[in-house]
Amino acid sequence: MFIYEKKLQYPVKIANPNPKLASFIISQYGGPDGELGASLRYLSQRYAMPYPELKGLLTDIGTEELGHLEMIGAIVHQLTRNLDDQQVREGGFAPYFVDHTTGVYPTAASGAPWNAAGIGVKGDVICDLTEDMAAEQKARVTYDNILRMSDDPDVNNVIRFLREREIVHFQRFGEAVRLAKEKMDQKNVYFTNPAFDK
Amino acid sequence: MYPESNNPNPNLKPGVCEDASGMLPQCAPLAVPYVPFQQNNPKRYNQQDALSNGTLFPGLNLPFRVKEEAVKVLGTQLAELQALEFVLQELGLYLDTHADDKEAFALYQQYAALEQQARSKYEAAHGPVTQSAAANAAGWSAWLEGPWPWNYEEGGQK
Repeated sequence: MFIYEKKLQYPVKIANPNPKLASFIISQYGGPDGELGASLRYLSQRYAMPYPELKGLLTDIGTEELGHLEMIGAIVHQLTRNLDDQQVREGGFAPYFVDHTTGVYPTAASGAPWNAAGIGVKGDVICDLTEDMAAEQKARVTYDNILRMSDDPDVNNVIRFLREREIVHFQRFGEAVRLAKEKMDQKNVYFTNPAFDK
Repeated sequence: MYPESNNPNPNLKPGVCEDASGMLPQCAPLAVPYVPFQQNNPKRYNQQDALSNGTLFPGLNLPFRVKEEAVKVLGTQLAELQALEFVLQELGLYLDTHADDKEAFALYQQYAALEQQARSKYEAAHGPVTQSAAANAAGWSAWLEGPWPWNYEEGGQK
């Protein structure tokens, strides 16, 4: 089960509202490579994993990603607090505002609501871990792109932290593939799928 | 197998790489991806620098474009708790793939003890962090009262 901890993994303290920034940072809340998809991908892939290291790693990273989801929610909330009628019309925020006011809704920056089509659970050890490595890279690039477009140091400190976590997770998933391979058929790791074949 | 420039430090023992490099097998099956294994006992930041940089390990700290000075997370009781928990999170992921690193596990135990102390101190001053910790408070409002983690007043004042 999960128990809520009433604090963020890393502090989010944004002094100035900026709905334009919020209108694209929301993508890491509910977009194709965002933190909601990341947590559901890893926490769902766990069940088919045959080795204890992989069950542990997917549990621990999937749980951390839920903490990142909360951090992104805090960023969007703080960037959209105390807006006046003029501010909600500026910077491309109006389409989001008309549907959600300043509530935090899992959607991509492009407007598509969160969709499980953006994540993969294939039930195959090497396939799922390779997907996870790609997923960390896609999230890393999204954070690169946010850093390109944002001039707010209060926001960028948090984004830099989250981006660095993607790199560490990529490293651990890469190591997880190596650990899995050591337990599989050394001559042909594709001979069976240890998540299914006995 | 690898060009010498990849291993420029002549003082390294054979089979040991620079801190920002890791171990690859000499011969390995085709058609599977290889990420080098981080070596046991990698260099580490202290807990505040780890939280500021987003990783405990200097060898894995690979920022985008120009590295701006990592902003120190202020030394409040909450920041101290967050920093200690971050070290536990990061060491935990490391141990998931390095379960045989006994030094890292001993370190995990030390940080877990520090985290327990910091958590008690924080909860005594600021209220419960988990719902069950509210049992130690004077009333249920200790759980309900803010600030909730996402709340931060405009202009930088709590």
